[in-house]
Amino acid sequence: MSSEPIERRISYLGDRLRGRRCQICGKEYFEIRDYCGNCGRKSFGKMEDIDFFYEKGKLELCTLVNEPTNKFTKLGVYIYGIVSFHNGKIRVPGRLTDKIIRNGETIDFSAFEGREVVPRFRRRYSVEKSEIIPTISLAFTFSDEYYPHQEYHIVKPNKEYDAPGIVGYGVYTSRFRIKEGGIERSVPFIDEDAITAAVEAGKLALIHSGVDSTLVGKVYVGSESNPYAVKPIASKVAQVLKLGEEDEDVQGVDAIDTEFACKAATSMFKDAASLVNYPKMGVPYAMVIGADNSQAAPRDSPGGELDFFVGYGGCAYIFGKTDVIAELEGWYSCTSDTPDFWRRDGEPYPMHGGRFTGDPAYFKHIRKAAKKLMDRLGLKPSDINYFVAHQPNVQFPIRIARELGFKEEQYMPSIQVAKFGNTYSGSSPVGLAAVLDIAKPNERILIVSYGSGAGSDAYSFITTSQIIEKRQRQKLTVKYQAENPFLEYVDYNMYRRLKAGM
Amino acid sequence: MGLLLQKRVQKAMGSRPVIVAAGRTKFGEHYEKQPERLIEEAWLKASEEAGLERKDLEACYLSDYFLPITNKLGLEEGFLSELTELHVPMDVARSFSSAFSNACNAIQAGKYDIVLVGGIEKMTDRWDKIRDDLMLLEDPWSYYAGGTPEANHELMLRAYIKRYGISGENLEKLNTALAQISVKNHLNALKNEYAQFQRKITVEQVLEARKNARRPLGLYDFAPISDGASAVILASEETAKKLTDKPIYVLGSASATDYLTFPSREDMTGFLATRLAMEKALKTAEISLWDIQVLEVYDQSTVMEMVSLEDLGFCPRGTAWKAIFESCKDYKGYYKINGKKLFVNMNGGLKADGNPLGATGGAQIYEVIKQLRGEAGERQIKADERLRFGCVLELEGFGTKSYVHIFGGGF
Repeated sequence: MSSEPIERRISYLGDRLRGRRCQICGKEYFEIRDYCGNCGRKSFGKMEDIDFFYEKGKLELCTLVNEPTNKFTKLGVYIYGIVSFHNGKIRVPGRLTDKIIRNGETIDFSAFEGREVVPRFRRRYSVEKSEIIPTISLAFTFSDEYYPHQEYHIVKPNKEYDAPGIVGYGVYTSRFRIKEGGIERSVPFIDEDAITAAVEAGKLALIHSGVDSTLVGKVYVGSESNPYAVKPIASKVAQVLKLGEEDEDVQGVDAIDTEFACKAATSMFKDAASLVNYPKMGVPYAMVIGADNSQAAPRDSPGGELDFFVGYGGCAYIFGKTDVIAELEGWYSCTSDTPDFWRRDGEPYPMHGGRFTGDPAYFKHIRKAAKKLMDRLGLKPSDINYFVAHQPNVQFPIRIARELGFKEEQYMPSIQVAKFGNTYSGSSPVGLAAVLDIAKPNERILIVSYGSGAGSDAYSFITTSQIIEKRQRQKLTVKYQAENPFLEYVDYNMYRRLKAGM
Repeated sequence: MGLLLQKRVQKAMGSRPVIVAAGRTKFGEHYEKQPERLIEEAWLKASEEAGLERKDLEACYLSDYFLPITNKLGLEEGFLSELTELHVPMDVARSFSSAFSNACNAIQAGKYDIVLVGGIEKMTDRWDKIRDDLMLLEDPWSYYAGGTPEANHELMLRAYIKRYGISGENLEKLNTALAQISVKNHLNALKNEYAQFQRKITVEQVLEARKNARRPLGLYDFAPISDGASAVILASEETAKKLTDKPIYVLGSASATDYLTFPSREDMTGFLATRLAMEKALKTAEISLWDIQVLEVYDQSTVMEMVSLEDLGFCPRGTAWKAIFESCKDYKGYYKINGKKLFVNMNGGLKADGNPLGATGGAQIYEVIKQLRGEAGERQIKADERLRFGCVLELEGFGTKSYVHIFGGGF
């Protein structure tokens, strides 16, 4: 059994790569030290907090690990080495992740050494299913491959809006794909899960928004694949991303997980928007994340039909009232008790009835929510530039879009399921992100999510002029991830192994 | 000054510690034996040599890294007390060298006259988890990042190659030199009845193992996991005279430490702790580096043997591989360094003799004593001059601690 206090201390330091710097001599430590070894007593009170979470490192030296210690055996064969930051002022051990090393593949270490790397938040190693999941950011990927290094600059807001809206967003999917049945689906690396995707997406949203993470007063994480039955993903997100003011080792933020199949995240858009709009509440920003390592039973077992569609990824939105890129115009949600998809407690995979899946589940709820919202706002399909629907497959969102009177140019930009698979809680949010990536100012976007069980949330957003200037800050767009030259395709067996995780 | 007072002052001024006897077991896998049996075996050999009884011991120092984890033994002092039927002061340390240093200090301080230092480890009893234990001991953060007991040695080699810009033919020579270290150590172990591996290996085998592993170092570059025990009996100068006519003096003994996390050390091509310890040890011993004729270094890997020759000062930094390569082209039983013969790891080193952590240092000391006394049998070395000085280097962790002892005999 792992020890909770030790686990807490390792992940507190290791997830964010925290350290201290001596303000007298400049020596840096990967450790919370109260004094500097060089300067001794005079350095007490002169050690400043640093962290390497958003920094770029350099892989100094590396070797191959093919006989790992026990807890790393599920990782298989990997590159392990020494990574330096700040021109060698600090060096840490680390392993390369997102890399499958095949049998017999020869490794030229000098081809890796000297290259720039980005720290990635991942699972640390395998433990028993009953134990705390260990995490760490001493896992790295090359910055000139799939995941580029991006600095996080806090930008002072310069414009206040009347209505709350989206101030930034981020989409994260892994670099692995399975290609079959005419679609590509994202596959997590073996050390990824819904928690790591949520953190990644949140990190990218902070980078894109330029929002000071300490001003985020609430974070919601919607998922149906939290590796814990009890323990929030949101607490990890809050701590790793340092949301809210940190006091000692506690973050001044409210963090909560939500669950409602694929609408667990979109449901909270209105809550986040309302919270930041509520006067004098002191919550300038709220973050909503949808993240899933979408679950599916193996193909030959009950519920296995989902195995053809599930993807992996996370999507995060930051709501606020300053420097908004898309104002919230209105919303409508509807709910009915329709059991079309469920997972009983303790069961590893969800079940999928089949009878209710299309109608009255998906189509009825999306139709209802979309129509009601359009009625309320007095909108015709022609008033809307982009339509985004939940995407369990390619056919469903196209069928409902057509039925509602939308044309191809209105709905096709949002359809991403053929690139990433169904990312469950992240599904319609990824569609929205794809649209925000390309939308011009003053365009109206209608997004309608769907969550089995069942319900839909419809939102209307109108983009602002600031959508253009913020676009420069995000390299990791939806298109970039969908058409990346570093994508790696895996076969079915590898896909199942990676998805099952450590 | 009265006679009694004079005696007291003399005693307080202390005495140079002398090794009067040493014993050890075979290293390897001893699944059939309790750890107590192994330490008893080593102690009996040493006590027989010195003609000592248990009741003659005034104190005991025991070393082990993992016994409480591997063997669930409870307090080690308890079984040691039971074994010796003694109720004298006993202390437990990690490496043999640290127990040995404590014993030396006590004798030097005039506290005891006869002390037993014993070392033991039973790593194969926890075969399935011992590499995780070793890694956590070496550095938890490297472990959490996915490191293995082998990885740091390989990274040190990569650092070495880069720092000294070794490439092409020279790189090939360096890799061959490292293989030759292993071949040489296996060859030496052929004549060591206690060695874990008593078989010859070839340079080709070492290189082939590296190729198969796809790593800078392979199976034959690393010391094994072992069980074993060793014991040394230390006495004050005066007492030693009564016990042996071949006393081995501890002329110098020093240690130093370094960061736990290898990557955060400034120099990754050697061990700072060894450099510091050697400097101090030589100063205390009042001998020159080049007086040392026989040397046991801590070759957990072939890279460690190579860099240790530099850390101890025998070879300039970045050049040990050349001396090794030249010496091993036609190996005559020693390294030719600076025009002198240096006999290194005559027992086969950790590579072939074995590496039961807590007992390893004892086996290293055992070897130097046997050589200095001219009792090493088949593997007795023939130095150009009268054999007088030997040196032992033992490390803890990946160079986190370094112990250097300088021994003198044949006076």
